[in-house]
This record gives sequence, C-alpha cells and structure tokens, in this order.
Amino acid sequence: MSTAVQEARRGAIRKPPQVEVLRQVLPAPERYRNPIGRYKVVRSADCMSCGQCVKLCPHGVHEKPPGYRFTLRPHDHLCIGPDCAKTDHYCVDRCPRHALSLLRNPTADVLGDPRWSSDLILATWYEAETGHAPQGGLEYRQGESGGGFDRLRFRFPEQPPREVARPSGSRRDPADRATEIDTSLDLNRRNDGRPQVHIDIPVYGGGMSFGSVSIHAILAKARAAVAWNSFTCTGEGGYPDRLAPYDDHVITQVATGLFGVREETIQRVRMVEFKYAQGAKPGLGGHLLGDKNTPDVARMREAIAGNALFSPFPFHSVYSIEDHKKHIDWIKEINPRALVSTKVSTPADVDMVAVGSYHAGTHIVHLDGSYGGTGAAPDIAKKNIAMPIEYAIPKVHRFLVAEGLRDGIVVMASGGLRCAHDVLKAIALGADGAVIGTAEMVAMGCTRCGNCESGRGCPRGIATTDRELIQLMSVEWATQRLINMHNAWREQIVDALRRFGMKSIRELRGRTDCLSYLERRDERERAYA
Amino acid sequence: MRKKAEQILRSRGAMYGPGAAGVQPKAAEEGGCGVTGFACTVPVRGRHIYEPSVQMHNRGNGKGGGIAAVGMVPEQLGVSREVLDTHYLIQIALLDPACHAEVENRFILSDFNVAHSVRVPRIADFHDIPGLEVQPPEVHRYFVRVKPNVLQAFIETNSLQDLSPRDAEDEFVYRNSYRLNEAFYASLGDKQAFVLSHGRDLLIFKLVGYAEQIVQYYQLEDFRAHVWIAHQRYPTKGRVWHPGGAHPFIGLNEALVHNGDFANYWSVAEYLQQRNIRQQFLTDTEVSVQLFDLWDRIYGYPLEYIIEAMAPTTELDFDRLPPEKQDIYRQVQATHIHGSPDGPWFFIIARSMPDLKRFQLLGITDTAMLRPQVFALSEGEVQVGLICSEKQAIDATLRSLAREDARICPVADRYWNARGGSSTDGGAFVFTIAEKDGKKILACADKFGRPVEIGGGRVRCDLPSSTGVPPVIQGQDAPATSVREALQKEDSLGLFRYGADHMRDWSPAELRGFCAAIRNGGNNGALKATAIEALTLLHDRRYDVGDKRRCSVLQLLDDTLKAVFDSTPRVGEPGTGRYRRIDLATRSRLAKPEQGAEVLLVNAEGFPPEGEECDAVLLCEAYCLGWRQFTVYGCRGQRFTGCGFGPASDGVRIDVYGSSGDYLASGIDGLTVVVHGNAQDQLAQIMKRGKLVVYGDFGQTFMYGAKGGEVYVLGNGAGRPLINAVGRPRVVINGTCLDFLAESFMAGDALNGGGFVILNGITFDDHGTMVPQALPYPGSNLFSLASGGAIYLRDPRRQMVEQQLNGGSYVPLTEADWQLIEPYLRENERLFGISVEELLTVDGVLREPAEVYRKVCAVKLKVLAAAAEEEGAEVTDAAAEEEGAVAESEEALPERAEALAAAVQPASHAVGSNA
Repeated sequence: MSTAVQEARRGAIRKPPQVEVLRQVLPAPERYRNPIGRYKVVRSADCMSCGQCVKLCPHGVHEKPPGYRFTLRPHDHLCIGPDCAKTDHYCVDRCPRHALSLLRNPTADVLGDPRWSSDLILATWYEAETGHAPQGGLEYRQGESGGGFDRLRFRFPEQPPREVARPSGSRRDPADRATEIDTSLDLNRRNDGRPQVHIDIPVYGGGMSFGSVSIHAILAKARAAVAWNSFTCTGEGGYPDRLAPYDDHVITQVATGLFGVREETIQRVRMVEFKYAQGAKPGLGGHLLGDKNTPDVARMREAIAGNALFSPFPFHSVYSIEDHKKHIDWIKEINPRALVSTKVSTPADVDMVAVGSYHAGTHIVHLDGSYGGTGAAPDIAKKNIAMPIEYAIPKVHRFLVAEGLRDGIVVMASGGLRCAHDVLKAIALGADGAVIGTAEMVAMGCTRCGNCESGRGCPRGIATTDRELIQLMSVEWATQRLINMHNAWREQIVDALRRFGMKSIRELRGRTDCLSYLERRDERERAYA
Repeated sequence: MRKKAEQILRSRGAMYGPGAAGVQPKAAEEGGCGVTGFACTVPVRGRHIYEPSVQMHNRGNGKGGGIAAVGMVPEQLGVSREVLDTHYLIQIALLDPACHAEVENRFILSDFNVAHSVRVPRIADFHDIPGLEVQPPEVHRYFVRVKPNVLQAFIETNSLQDLSPRDAEDEFVYRNSYRLNEAFYASLGDKQAFVLSHGRDLLIFKLVGYAEQIVQYYQLEDFRAHVWIAHQRYPTKGRVWHPGGAHPFIGLNEALVHNGDFANYWSVAEYLQQRNIRQQFLTDTEVSVQLFDLWDRIYGYPLEYIIEAMAPTTELDFDRLPPEKQDIYRQVQATHIHGSPDGPWFFIIARSMPDLKRFQLLGITDTAMLRPQVFALSEGEVQVGLICSEKQAIDATLRSLAREDARICPVADRYWNARGGSSTDGGAFVFTIAEKDGKKILACADKFGRPVEIGGGRVRCDLPSSTGVPPVIQGQDAPATSVREALQKEDSLGLFRYGADHMRDWSPAELRGFCAAIRNGGNNGALKATAIEALTLLHDRRYDVGDKRRCSVLQLLDDTLKAVFDSTPRVGEPGTGRYRRIDLATRSRLAKPEQGAEVLLVNAEGFPPEGEECDAVLLCEAYCLGWRQFTVYGCRGQRFTGCGFGPASDGVRIDVYGSSGDYLASGIDGLTVVVHGNAQDQLAQIMKRGKLVVYGDFGQTFMYGAKGGEVYVLGNGAGRPLINAVGRPRVVINGTCLDFLAESFMAGDALNGGGFVILNGITFDDHGTMVPQALPYPGSNLFSLASGGAIYLRDPRRQMVEQQLNGGSYVPLTEADWQLIEPYLRENERLFGISVEELLTVDGVLREPAEVYRKVCAVKLKVLAAAAEEEGAEVTDAAAEEEGAVAESEEALPERAEALAAAVQPASHAVGSNA
C-alpha cells in the first residue's frame, strides 16, 4: 500500500478533535451530605467550639470554616479510628470538654460482602476522594473472602534490593517517583506493522454498555482513560456519539449480540475487543429485558424500544479457531490500524484458547475469570463454571512461555480485580496488566447494593438510564474520582515495585516467587509482610 | 451378527494387556479445519486435491495436513488388480527411520505374506518445498495377507469362530496396527512410527505442514485414484507436532477427516472403552472413525443407521418420519446416544468396498449444522461428486479437473447444503462409484437412500465444437446482427431477452456464436457496458436452456464475461471508455480515476483471501481515491469484499463474479453489492444500510446481527440466517433456508418501520419455470424466541405447522402487510424476473395476497417481556463485578428449558389468569 493511499484511507475516517484531560489529583469529596466512613466521631452538646480539634486533626475530620461560630459536624469518614490514640493528635483525648467520642459506624459494618469487604469499599472511596491510599486501619489491599487473591500475599524483601529506596514518608509525593519507575505497557507485541499502542498504567477499563450504566459514567471513564493515557471499553451496547472526542482511548467491543457494532465504530478506535464470553457466566448469553430497553438504549442498539434484546452464546459465526481467525481478519480489514483484543472466559483449556488466539492474530488475550460477574448471572454459573483467575493466569502464562510465544502477545486479566494489589498479584502470576470494572463503579460511589440489573433505579445514579437519576452524578466529579483512584493505585504499584527493587512493571510479570500462598491454617493471618 | 460383534469386542480385552483402561484427555483442541473431498468416475491425479487444499490454506495453520486416496490404479502401485483388491495395503510412517527393521520384523514379516513392498518415493530434500518446516515421515508400503496359520491361530485364540475368514483377517489387521501404534507411538514420549493406513485399496499420507505439500513431497501429482479427500488442520496445542495427529484417521477400509470440535469427547471415548475400544491419538477424529468402524464393520449397521447414531433426528423432523423408521431410530438413539458426537462437526469419509467393487465418498453434518459444508454434483460423461467446507474449494477442484479432462465442466450442475438430523435429507449425502456394464458410474443419495438426480439438458456448450468449423449463422434473425444492433442501441435488456428467448433452440455452436458476437462488441470501449450487462443478465436469470446443460451455459457466459473484462485497458494505460482494469501484478498502479473512467474492474485472481494485500483492501483504497463503481471478477474465495468502506458509502456499487468468499458485504452502510452467483458464509453480518443482491444461494449465519438494509436472494440459504438481527433489515429470499431462520429476531414492528423477511419457498424447474419447493421452509425453529419483526411466508397450501415455530405465531396477512411487502416483491421482480402475479398464482389461479402469504409475528413472551416479577429475581448477594450487572445490563439468559417452557405460554394468557 502506498503512503498516499494509506493517508487517503486514514483521512476517510472522520474523527472529531480529541479532548485532553489533565492528569491532576484534586479533592473530590463524596457527593452526598453524610459520607459513610468506618468510624463515627460524635460531638456532644458540651462542645464549645474552641477549635482545638480542628488544629489537631491532620486528616481533616474537623472543620471550622472562617467566619463560622460553630465547628462543623465531623467529616468522620476521614477519621483513622482508634489507632489515632497512639498519636499526639487524638482529638477525643484532647478535647477540653470531653465532647468527642469515637465509635464504629454501624452502617459501615453492613456494607459490602466478603469479596468486596466494607474496608475495600471505604478504601476505594477514600482513594477516589483523595488520590492516595488510606492511612490508618482501612484494609485497602485485600478483601475477606478467604480465597482467590485474598489468599495471596506479597513476599516483600526486608530491604529493597537496590538503592532505590526513599523514606516511606514521601509516599504522597509521587511526581518525581513517576519518572523513576515505569508502569507503562505496550499493547502491540506482534510486530505486524500495525501502530504501537502505549498505556501509562497497566490497567484499563472493562466494557460497560450504554444501557447498563449512565452516559455520565461512560464519559467519566473515558475522560479518566484520557488523563491516564489508557482505555475504556464500550461494552456491547453501542458507541454513544458523546464518546467521539475520546475515540483514541475507547475500545469498541464486538460481542455476541453485535448490538451497535458498525463499521464506523470499528474504524474510529485504536483497539477492538471481541467478547467471546464473560467469566461469570461462560456458556450463557445475555438478555436485556424489554423494560430496560428505553428509547435511548434502543436507539444506540438500533433496536426498537420495549423489546427484549438477546445476546447469544457463542458467536453464531465462530465455532472454531479458524472461524476466529476469519473474524479477526475481518476486523483488521475494516480497520487497518486497530489492535485486536480477544476476551475469553477461563475454561479448563484456557491455555490452548490463548495460544489459538495468538495464532489467529490477536494482539491481546483478555482472560476473564470467574469472580467477576453480574448480579444477573445465574448462581449456578457464577463461580462454578470458569476457572478462578488466579489459576488461569499462570496456566496461560506458562504455556505461552513454553510455546515461545509469550513476548508476542499481551495477556490482560480481569474478573474480580478490586484494588491495586490485586492488579499487582495478577501481574506477578503472569499477566501483563489488568482490566477493571467494579472498582471504577465503586470509585464513583457505588455501594454494591446489587440492584443494578433491576432497571433504571440505581440509587446512586450510576447504573441507570433514567434521565433524572443520571443527574445525580456529574461527569466532572466522576472523572476526578477515577483519576484520583488511578493515582492512588499507581502510587501503590510504584511502591510495591520499589520494594522489590524493580524499575518497571514488566519486571514483575510471572514472578510468582514474589508471592506466597496462605494455607488454610494461616487463614486468619491478615497482615502483610 | 450379534455373536460376531460380541466375539470381536470381548476378545479385544486380551490385546490390551494388564494396563488400566481409562479415558485420557484430548491431546489437542482443533475446532478449525478445512476439509475437502471428491469422487470421480475416472481415476484422477493427485494434483487435483492440490488446488482446493491451497484454496483452504486459511482454514489450517500448517501444523498438520493429510490426504487419502481410494480406488487406485494397480499398475502405478506395481501390483496386479487382484492384489490391489484382495490385499491389505499397509502404509507405515517412520518418524525415526532407524526403527524400520524392528517395525518390519515385528509387525509385518512375522505374520504376513507380503506380495509387494516399497519405500514410498519422495523428493530428496523437504526444504525444496516452500513452507515445509518439519521433515515428513519416511513411508513404507506393504501389500499383505495374513499367513493362514497365523490367522487360524488368531481365530482360535480369540474365539472368533463365527467370523468369516475375511472378517477375522480384517480384525487381525486392525489389531496388528493397534499394537504397532502402541509399541512405537502411543506409549512413547518420542514417537517413532505409526500406521497411516491398512485398508484395501486405501492410501493415506500425513505430515506436519499443509495438505498440498504431501502431494509435492511424496510426488503424488500424477498418482491417480477415484476418490480423494484432504484435510488442513488447525491444532492449537503444543510446539512439538507429530503427523500422527493429522487427519485422516482410519477405521479399516475408510478414512475420515473432520472439521469441528466435540463437547463430549470424554463421553464418546467412555462409550468406546465400554466396548473395548481404546484411543491412541486422543483426538475427536480418532474416536469418530472408531465409532464408524464399530457401527459399520463390527455391528454391521446399514449406513443409514450409522448416520442416525452419529447425528440423531430430533423434534419435528423425528415426528415426520414414517412410524416404522421412528421405531428403529428410537432404538438407535436409545442405544447409542452416549456415543453420539455432540457439538460442531462435519465429517468427510472416503471408503473402499473392495468386495462390492465400490468406492464411496460421504459427508455427514451434525444435527445443528454448526460447521460449513457444501455438496456438489457434476454430471456428464465423467461424473464428479464433491464435498467441501467452502464452495470456492469445490470450484477450484472442478477447475483443476476440467483443465486436465475436458469432459468435466468447471461449473457443477448442482450445489447444495445438507440439513443435519433432518427428515428431509438426513444431513448426509453419499457418492457411490460402482461398476455397471464395465463402466464406472457415480450415484448420489441422501441418508435415506433417495437419489439426487440432475434433470435438464445434457449437451455441453462451453467447449469449442470438435469440428473446429466456426458456426455459420444466416438469416435476418442471426445472432451476430441482432447483437450488433442491440449493442449499438445500448439495449442490454433487449439483448438479454433476445438471448433468453432463443436459448432453448440454439445449438451449442449458435450459442457460442452469440457469445462471440457480444464479446467482439464488448471489446469496444463504448459498447462494453451493454455487453457486460446483457451477459450478466443471461448469467443471473433463469430461462429455458433446452437440451443444453445449464452449468455449461453458465461456464460459457463466464468465459465470455472474463474475455470482455480482460479486454479492458489497465489503470494507467492509455484507453477510452468507462472501464479500467487492475490485477495483482498492477495493483501498485492504483490511482485516482482519470477523466471518464468510472468503473474499476478488479481481477481478483491471485489476491490473498485476507490480510493487508487482499483485494478487499484494494477496493477500500480505490474508494478513498475516488472510485465509486467496482467489478470484482475471477474471485477464488477472497473474503471481506465490500467491508471497510465505512459509513455513508451511498452511491458505491460492487459487482462480484466468480467464487466469492466469506464475510462479503459484512457491515456495509450505504453501498450496494451484487453477487452474480452463489455466496458463502457470514454474508452481510452487521449490515447497516445499503443493498445486497445475490443471484444464487448463501451460506451460514447470513445477516447475523444486521441492523438494516435491503437484501434480495434468488436461491436458498444455509442455517441460522438473520439471527439477532435488529433495526429494520428487509429481506426477500426466493428459495428457502435451513433451520433457525431469524432466531432472536428483534427488528421492532414490521408495519412500523421494523424489519421483516419474505420467504417465497420457490425454485426453478429444468426449463427455468418457477415452481414451489416441497415445503416453503423444511426446518423448525423458525423465528424462534423472536421479539420483533415479522416473516412473510409464501405458503398457499398452508403446509407450515405450529411445531416449526418456537414462540411466534401465524397470523393472517392484512392489507397493511401487503402494502408493506409489495414494493419489495416488485423490486424482486425487477431483479430476478419473478413476477408478483406469478407468485400470487396458485394452481393456475391468481389469488388474493392473504390466500398466498402468511405472516409469522412475535408473541409477547413472558421471558422476553418487561415482566415485573423478573425484577430482583436474579439479585444475589454477590452483586456486580467487572462487566456485570454494573457493566453489562443484559440479564442472564434464563435456562433454555425455562425459556422454552415459558415460550409455550404467551404472556397474554398469563395476564388473563392473573385477572
């Protein structure tokens, strides 16, 4: 192909000017009046508003704005709890009127579940608000499921092996750190003449379709992806026009229902993802009830409002590996510059699936393990069909290494990766990076109430297409929450790499020696090394 | 029979020794493959399996190829006819040539009388074959009979008294190979040797590479046989490859190749092990042929029951069988269902039946028809039956055969798909070559033994007349004059009518004269368009061709069209007229259309079927440079034609001639694609807008996930068309389709801007006259679980029944419906010459539309509707993660059974009972 022709073809794809979003950590406080925290700080009527507590607290729990006579109700979600008693700024002990008391917040105790523990949710909210990992007490590195990633621990060396250490107090000063430790990934390892795609963090956003989440949530994910030079994915509900300014950071998903998939939406992006299956319900399709198929959703999916919409399993046109190759060839023909990702669930022969995908021409194989998944997935499927992701990743990684193909393909892992340490563990098990979904939702304020599939009624205005509920959350606020969370994650990733003496996230890949597995008797052991 | 089977199976136990039985996991995943096979009444050279194999390169990955030949010529093997017919032809592959002596001594010389043995010739250095990376095995060939005393001892030791000596000898050979494989292959980490084939008049080769490399390496270009099959393998496990895993696999006198992947390998292997049959190569294909061998040679089932055991007849099709067949099939299913391969599969089997002096080629598809398959039959002095994964591979085979033997026409008389597990054809076709009056004849029959016969004329007209005298045409009505006049007037329709009206009576020579006249005119730049249009109409439309073979008329028109196309100036060359031409050699000259140039002719021959250099990419590039009209000719299965033009491609038109490939017109959004001939699989997937016209049949998953567009099809379709289509696709299919038409159709309200399919269920008789098919739609699952859109069925005799639906319902056609569909039928008339009045005429009487057409519309099903009780029903403690309830809002598809159960009860009933 001559250059002139190439240029002509590229020019034929009309792309609007791409928007830039600053990668900047700014406070993004909870959008509800009374944020939920682990603790409750109660100020009694004895308070005389002397302002002592305001001076003491470095976490911003107490606030008395200029010109106010009284101290505000404590921002107790920022409180680090009883551990503070050991410090010299413990307000409860130092209040001259003994007007302050500290309790566990009963609301926090009913939040979450063993996988997404109350602590993890609160910690994610904290990260989204502040851009940094929480201090003091909140467990932000793992859940309480007693299995999966919660059984894995990093074996950090006593001292970082190389002279890369800095005082740990500088954790909040990431700017100079960023130049030092590399968390970026190249997504094209095929050397096939297609452009290189580079992401600055080893994480991108999973598919969330229009119809399942609000347009604000979709746009916020896209804007955060721009800020972090990463990606978000359309899911299978179509490509909203408002995503166009972020085309360079959007993955178009081609899923089994083919809803909203058009040549145009394949041509405008740098990456296309085939969704063959979801880890939560491999072998089952999807089904959007007629009720949820609102006029907006219907327009996007090019269906008629009010009708139920099916996503079959599997692709009707793909029953074998050579069909898959043909499928990939098709997308490559439509968009000569796009990379192709293949998202598969984790059956027992997932290693062969990965190798087959490589030979079929995919750039990325995306393994979706069984912890992920939907409130809507049948219980019988969830956690019973697919292989847990922590088994699937090393199986695939080792097989690719044995085949001599590991450096020709990128392995992304998803399916219940909740926090930065889950990402790190997935990489240490052999993935190149991770795809996340729920964590971003939580950062936007999701409480994991689990009612998201029941229609338009998401109480937090995230998983909804209801025009009024959407207004509960602004794009700008949600964007900032996501940018902050990714910053907090990146700091944790950088910190972990430093402790291992690694200069790049790529060094961690497949380093299972950095991990230890807790046997059952150690189950109670919760502390990190 | 029962005694015999028991004796064989029981005594096999001893062969295995003390080692524990047990099913081992599959050694490789290999969904994908390309399979091809043909049977010919004259022995033909191995080079003819070369072309289709090359054509289906992209269905394999070069990690395994194999071919089999059946019905060979004794002289070329260095034996007598008697030896070829009576002796077992054992071919052993030596991966490690050092073990030759040991293999020969232990497994050949000790027990067999050898009539002839040879080390199979091959080329000296495998590196001379481009792309071949692994040393193919050294192959030794033996023609043997079991020594009488050995056979006697074998019968006694194994208590096989009830077997005929031949049956016992068969079993001895079978076990001998098992033991050889066990000793030198299955038990070893480093594989040393295995048996390629051991049947009579049957030969197999395999290697790590592509199938056609076998032909080159073992120098089989000129090796002749009646039946050939080949396989391109696409395995995905392991870096170390052995040819042992490649297809074909053997029973005794049969070789089987397979495209697909079982979901129940374990169950099938277990079923076999319960019958003392163990596995050595651990692939789906091995167990498939073990099943065939068990049911055929050991149980002695007729072929029909074997096919039934493999692909059971179900649902409505079962009910449609005669009661006596139902009784037998029920027994077959009850006994063998656990051994029935489940999942996508398609088998091609070549077998020799030396005692009957017959050869067979079989194709069997699974019940759900999940793998692509095309059958074809070419009649004439030399008959050919063909089975392939893709039609284009059939065309390649016939082209190759025709080049060598002019008696074979490059276009088959008939192409068709099998309907898996059906009562109509049983999903299997058998080509049998038998001897009659000293001459080999080929007969084709379906599973039930019903013959496939080609009617119509028998006279070939695509060949130059043997006398060599150019046809002399005189008189006012002489073609040459009329052609010249019509061309001058640019009256392509008139020219077509003239040709179509005279075709019946013309002699081949006159027809050729007519074509030559058009060709001569078409060489002229100004007249070219009219010539092309007229030839294309003659090629596409149906009319009476008299005593001539229609396929040969088509071939002649193809040749003429090609000549007209080829006489066009190339891009960048001086020339006049609207047309410019480009081909593989000149593709780099592609440039903006010069003044006056409008149509870009692309000679697709030689272009790769996919990838950066394929012709589909060339079209996109030309489009970006300003070209708007394209004619692609000489297609050899090139894929993705029309893909990649992007949105708003209105005004673009692509005409496709030849064997078009998969994914044609997929995703088009505005442009028009016209296929002059049959199309293949995955046509018009996700089509958004625009128009597609197919002057022939189409393959699997047509318009999957389509959003809109207008489509007109002259012929039939394979399975699963229009699945998951949404929006407003509007489709006219004049033939019929296999099962699952418009499953999960979601195209709104047809009368209110939604989509629909008109299914006419007609075909054409030998005189080109429209006739109804036996059933407008033979399958079940029509409009299954659809939530929107409609099907308009031409069913004047009300042959369609409730059981063919799954969730929809038949309703009478209203005036509004007719007003909606009539314009599409008018366009259909314009395109195909199928007049609306003719469609409305039943038994010679013009009827009201509502008497002829029926509408199938969606019933508001409980499972599909926005039922309130669904809300929260699926909410669970562990709520959304990843793309879950949060990410994807799709509800879980309810268990199929639930869905079906609910489908039976329309929501309206539910509401009624609540009230």
